[in-house]
Amino acid sequence: MRVVIAEDAALLREGLTRLLEDRGHAVCAAVTDGESLLTAVAEHQPDVAVVDIRMPPTHTDEGLRAALRMRQDFPGTGVLMFSQYIETSYSAQLLEGGAAGVGYLLKDRVANVAEFAAALQRVAEGGTALDPEVVSQLFRASRQRGGLSTLTPRERQVLALMAEGRSNAGIATELVVSGGAVEKHVASIFGKLGLPPGESDNRRVLAVLRYLGGKPQRQDG
Amino acid sequence: MEQEIRRVAELIVRAPLTRRNWRDLLYCGVGGFAGIAGFWALVLVLLAGLTISASVLGTVVGLLLITVALRFSRRLGALHRRLLKRLLGRQVEAPPPFQPGTGILGRLDKRLRDRPAWRGVWYTLIKLPVAAVQFYSIVLTACGLIDVSFPVIWVLFHNHSGGPQHPLTGFVPIPFGGNIDATSWLGTFPAAVAGVACVVAGAWLARGINAADARLARGLLGPTSMAERVSELERTRALAVDDSAAALRRVERDLHDGAQMRLAALAMNLGMAREKLSDDDATVRELIDAAHRNAVDALADLRDLARGIHPPVLDNGLASALDSLAAISAIPATVTAEIGERPAPAIETIAYFCAAELIANATKHSYANQIKINIFSERAGVLRLEVADDGIGGADQAHGTGLAGLAQRVSTVDGHIDVASPAGGPTKVTVQLPLRAGGDM
Repeated sequence: MRVVIAEDAALLREGLTRLLEDRGHAVCAAVTDGESLLTAVAEHQPDVAVVDIRMPPTHTDEGLRAALRMRQDFPGTGVLMFSQYIETSYSAQLLEGGAAGVGYLLKDRVANVAEFAAALQRVAEGGTALDPEVVSQLFRASRQRGGLSTLTPRERQVLALMAEGRSNAGIATELVVSGGAVEKHVASIFGKLGLPPGESDNRRVLAVLRYLGGKPQRQDG
Repeated sequence: MEQEIRRVAELIVRAPLTRRNWRDLLYCGVGGFAGIAGFWALVLVLLAGLTISASVLGTVVGLLLITVALRFSRRLGALHRRLLKRLLGRQVEAPPPFQPGTGILGRLDKRLRDRPAWRGVWYTLIKLPVAAVQFYSIVLTACGLIDVSFPVIWVLFHNHSGGPQHPLTGFVPIPFGGNIDATSWLGTFPAAVAGVACVVAGAWLARGINAADARLARGLLGPTSMAERVSELERTRALAVDDSAAALRRVERDLHDGAQMRLAALAMNLGMAREKLSDDDATVRELIDAAHRNAVDALADLRDLARGIHPPVLDNGLASALDSLAAISAIPATVTAEIGERPAPAIETIAYFCAAELIANATKHSYANQIKINIFSERAGVLRLEVADDGIGGADQAHGTGLAGLAQRVSTVDGHIDVASPAGGPTKVTVQLPLRAGGDM
């Protein structure tokens, strides 16, 4: 897997580089702001980019803006946003164009090296990796519009894990149930939500996210 | 009645014999002299400065002369205040000390706008006629004293038998004017009576003009008037509010770039170390696991802390910050935002924390099904935040620290908070804020 890293803190940038290279991935470039991220992506055409949201010069959301432009200009490259905070409005903007090849994780998650690497791999392959916090926020946002009320608590749990990008087997391990039980829940969820059950993990995630709807309600004047 | 008149008459006539009278006269002399000398010195420098600065080439020199004059004006004011206190026992508080600006231009600007110094200039100008009257009261008293002494002088120096009899000429200063010639001992008595009148008049004139001088000094040499003081306080308070908002933002940013980043790197390194550990190092593994967990927990704690200090999402504007609040609300919440001009950061922070507190209140106490958050520019310069829910109502500003705390926070920028929450609901809390601290509403 070929990776570009955009992170302004040297300590994290070097740590990430080391972590990925340790696992046999190639870090083509490690840059410190949004502009050079776009340049590096254009130059190296990586599989995925890890992007910090707050970077110079304004330290607000330049990472997100660069990522949105990347999604437009280099749709083949996955984007894993990487931040100290989860903000619903950020996830909403990021997911607006679909959930394929998108990730949004808290920086804390890098502590679990294996999970982080797996999430990055998923994003690189066009999958999704959403922080549990992103998912729970989106859940709340969508619950406000009603519709998920028909799901049982267990089904909601399964849906949340699906939204994080887990496979059936992964969900089964997490919930300590059999694979068959998970399949039953998934089928039931799709049934209740009126979605056709799909084969691939990614299509399931897309369907779930489309249902959750990235954008929270808001009427701007 | 008759007694009363006698008492007053006695008081009037006896005035010259009091200690106070001599003090008044002393002040008339010293203060009057200081006033006149100060007037000429100040006016000369100031006029020179103004004239020179009007010409193109002399601007710098002229401005420097004006600042010298203004500095002198402050000194002169201090001198007048000291004289008033020492001689008349009238205390005039000093105006606030000069606040120098930064940089050459800043210093010059502050100096030229030094209000107490300019008011001192006014005092000096008005003091000139005042000093003239003060001197006149001295002259009046002096002439009076000489006239009063005529009968004695006559006896001592003019009562020689056989000597030439020069008339003694008593002088009464203007506006009463004229000379009183005395050619006999009895003839000196009218002059003596006129002298007593002059001494009494001089005493009361000195007392009156000094009282006026003290009032003038209190008005022009003392601290600025209450209204000016209030506007000054408002200005500095607005600065303090803005400063603290900027400081909190800086703290959050420092946390983000410092401690949070280091902790994340630490957790990452611990995670990598854990992976590299072989399974037989059970004790080490346990220790590293614990350290790893602690690092992750610390990160979460720190994130909550930083968010409480300054929510980073506020950097993207109030509307998107409120969206984020609504998204994590336990009760379904919708946001309507119509903000024209962007408010100052301090105001955005206050509005954000108000909304957060009101949503939390509704969640805890209202049993509502729906929260509506409205934020809009009500009219030019005023931001209005409404948080309404369809719950059971009964929220009271007097009870519970939440609403009272909000009211306090809002009042630091002269905002208002209005709670409408009848028992049985619905609740609607309205917060009005100026667009910037110190702004008009």
